[in-house]
Amino acid sequence: MKKIAIVLAFALLLAAPVFAAAQSEVAGSVGFVPSKNIDWYVTSSPGGGSDIFTRTLMDIMVTEKLVNDKNIVIQYKTDGAGEVGRLLVSNMKGGTQADHTLLTFNSGDLMPMAKNTNNRFENFQPIAHLAVDKHLIFINEVSPYKTFEDVIAALKAGANITLAGSKGDDIGCHAALAKELGVSVDQFAYVTHDASSAAITAILGNHYDLLISKPAAASQYVEAGKIKPILALSTSRFPGNLGSAPTLKELGYKNVEVPNWRSVVGPKNMSAEAVAYWSDVFKQVSAQDAWTKGYIEKQKLVPDFMGHAAFKAYGAQFQAEYLASIGKDK
Amino acid sequence: MENFTMLLEGFTVVLTVQNVLVVLLGAVLGLIVGAMPGIGSLAGVALLLPLTYKFNPTTAIIMLGSLYYANMYGGAFSAILLNIPGDSPAVMTALDGYPMATKRNRPGQALFTSNMSSFIGGLIGMIILTFTGPALANLGLKFGPAEMTALLLVAMTSIGWLVGENPTKGVILTLVGILVASMGMDTLTGSPRFDFGNIYLLGGIPFTPFVIGTVGFSQVLKLMQDRNKKVEANLSQKLTIKGSMLTLHDIKRLLPPAIRSGFLGTFVGVLPGAGATTGSFMGYAMQKAFKSEEELGTGAIEGIAACESANNAAAAGSFAPLLALGIPGSGTGAVLLGGLMMWGLNPGPLLFSSQPEFCWGLIASLFLANLITLIIAVGIIPFMIRILTVPVKILVPCITVVCIVGSYSTSNSMYGVLVMFFSGLFGYVLDRNGYSTAPMLLAFVLAPLLESNMRKSFISSHGSLDIFFQKPIAAFLILVLFAIILTPVIKFALKKIRPAQKSS
Amino acid sequence: MQKKKITSKMLIPVFSASAAVLFISFGYVKYGFWHPTRGPLPGFFPVIIGSILLVMSVLGFITSLSEEGTDYPLENWYPAFGAVLVMLATLVIGMLPSLAIFVVLWLKWYEKYPWKTTLIVFAVIMGIVVGAFVFWLGVPFPKGIIYDLIFN
Repeated sequence: MKKIAIVLAFALLLAAPVFAAAQSEVAGSVGFVPSKNIDWYVTSSPGGGSDIFTRTLMDIMVTEKLVNDKNIVIQYKTDGAGEVGRLLVSNMKGGTQADHTLLTFNSGDLMPMAKNTNNRFENFQPIAHLAVDKHLIFINEVSPYKTFEDVIAALKAGANITLAGSKGDDIGCHAALAKELGVSVDQFAYVTHDASSAAITAILGNHYDLLISKPAAASQYVEAGKIKPILALSTSRFPGNLGSAPTLKELGYKNVEVPNWRSVVGPKNMSAEAVAYWSDVFKQVSAQDAWTKGYIEKQKLVPDFMGHAAFKAYGAQFQAEYLASIGKDK
Repeated sequence: MENFTMLLEGFTVVLTVQNVLVVLLGAVLGLIVGAMPGIGSLAGVALLLPLTYKFNPTTAIIMLGSLYYANMYGGAFSAILLNIPGDSPAVMTALDGYPMATKRNRPGQALFTSNMSSFIGGLIGMIILTFTGPALANLGLKFGPAEMTALLLVAMTSIGWLVGENPTKGVILTLVGILVASMGMDTLTGSPRFDFGNIYLLGGIPFTPFVIGTVGFSQVLKLMQDRNKKVEANLSQKLTIKGSMLTLHDIKRLLPPAIRSGFLGTFVGVLPGAGATTGSFMGYAMQKAFKSEEELGTGAIEGIAACESANNAAAAGSFAPLLALGIPGSGTGAVLLGGLMMWGLNPGPLLFSSQPEFCWGLIASLFLANLITLIIAVGIIPFMIRILTVPVKILVPCITVVCIVGSYSTSNSMYGVLVMFFSGLFGYVLDRNGYSTAPMLLAFVLAPLLESNMRKSFISSHGSLDIFFQKPIAAFLILVLFAIILTPVIKFALKKIRPAQKSS
Repeated sequence: MQKKKITSKMLIPVFSASAAVLFISFGYVKYGFWHPTRGPLPGFFPVIIGSILLVMSVLGFITSLSEEGTDYPLENWYPAFGAVLVMLATLVIGMLPSLAIFVVLWLKWYEKYPWKTTLIVFAVIMGIVVGAFVFWLGVPFPKGIIYDLIFN
């Protein structure tokens, strides 16, 4: 008897996957509604910008009952500078799991991914593009340059100027700016820091000439008078205390901007119904006060909602431009 | 003195029932989090952050601040009792803490020393913070890449003291540590280095699993040999607080290092990029320059006192740039900063003037947290020592479990466990062959800082060495560096010349 | 001259020397050494460190020839074997069950403790692990293939 029991148990164990697989196929084909816990991947450490973005969205989604009362579990996957997590999501096989998987994805994730790995934007389903952050150039209190025209003049005269900033899109801005001004990156050098706060520290200590930063990190220092914006890397001037900085167009050049965007994507094999569902969820979230006042305004971002189709095109173009700028094709 | 009045006002904010309870809670959680290898203050603070949204901002940050602080106390526990540092700042504590607990058979005293030194260091740090907060933060600003390069070069010379009797082996490991640390993403170019095509190596070798493995897991392998030895049964009288008390002589020994390291640690905490780990290392290295009654590394009270005081002082010091300028000095600081923003406060230079009750309430709460944590930490010493009475045979599987779980939780992946496992084997083999792994771990922490600051200096000087001599602080430190390097050389040369002169 | 056994003491400098060579070659060729205006490139530091390491490794190797080797008692490796088995088992049944089985098997089967001790220690250590890491920190431990198949 004992032996038979063991054999039966074994057989059941081996048969289980067959039942499980059959189940998931059925679930995927009906009009999508979350049927189990949702896994939301974040590829940076808890407490950082992406984490706050994710948690804010999550809280609103749960409060507004947009996820069929299922739980959202945030999974932090920071290995390989985030690439492992991104690869994991992009490779997910189609089925229930893929439909219940989200990934927080920023332009600052796309750039190193395209540069250092073979993973590309096409390996994800763009769900919603939510907010945009643009940059400004700042000087400190003791800088010899008072306006950006002074900087341009100094560069034309052959002076070496160093710009301090963070990773990712800050670097892209610098490269684009140098190109537009027609100076080499050897003369107009860039120093990368791990975070904007480190760059701001350095500029407060007067160790570099200029600072590039997004509004959120810098505004308090502008308010305190420690730094002053002298150029807006955008198509229009910034509001509030950042409004004194002109855009490049006003100075006689073409506008330069490499925005930092924040979005949510899903695995490539996410079903179309699920993509539509999630896209709609985020559209609703983006209209909530809790989002516009509680996050966008607080973080001094620019709200910019793009649904699946628009975001797909935008992301692909962004990636193509970036790859071209670093001399990589595809 | 105006600051002192502000501080007293801060105490009125803190001394409400709710806030005191929250300090207590933060202290207990911090001790636990600190003692567990693999979870550091960063994880503890980040994961508790959402829970604090319900509280008002002052209460919330008081709890997190107290947790961060108590974490520095807790890390020493597992370092002293098990030779497994609970977090990176505790790596140095283990060097003297564990021998004192086991070989010298004074575990209670070791824990007591660590707690007292933590208290002293934290107190010094906070007094300095109270009276000179903004000025201190501004001093930190003056340390740009050139100054940091010079300072770190000076610090690297002190690794020399740590290599012990066999310099060749020590230097080899130091250099290996530097090479291992250079694997991963190179911030300055945005490209990976030495990843050898492996996606995991894009992020490099994570420090915490590396330490857990090299120090902790290799310790488990070593312990296997001792498991059949009879446990020294004389611990019965030590299982009381009285039995763990320090003698007057002990206290006289621990005060000078604790006070010195308190000042040094506070300063290190203010520097950009340097935190509690760097602080504890510098404190320990500085102690090497002074006399210790027992030799450092064999269980000397001075060793424990120097690093524990420094790491708590550095934690206090890092609040200076955070509160005065809105600049986080470390990962944990960045999380606290994020929390501040979510609670509607705007961290930055104006925080002190726009939200005085908040800032001073926080500083006052740190004083309170320091005191409460000390009381709790000392109170549980007898309980902690009991761990030593557990037979080694039982400890082996338990520590193995903790090593695996701890290293898994650093990045929620098996990668951490693999790193831990291989570092453990590596550490064990090295130890069997007479290599000491401490210099490797310290080089791992310091070298990337040194390299990035050096490269940044050269970028801003556009390739010229001048920058090191034009900036006053940097130039001064370079002179100090030459003095340190050349002194033994000159002494050696003089020795050779004098006998020759005598004979002529 | 007596033929010397190859000891691990000698292998360590060999290992560090090979690492040095590896880093030097990658550093110089792939990452670059010095740039006229940017100063040290990513390869600069590793090449210098690697070169010093190479020299020291050679020195270390020479000294190791005159030193005695060390022995490796077999039982010292057992926790390592245990860890490997735990890692493999994790893939199948998940980390927490694997650790639980490891603790019980080690104490009962290897160290031959009575059931009472085994279960007490088991309860304490798993209590700490589950209490701190699962309930408080919410660390998502791997659940293993079998769990995924049954529940997903």
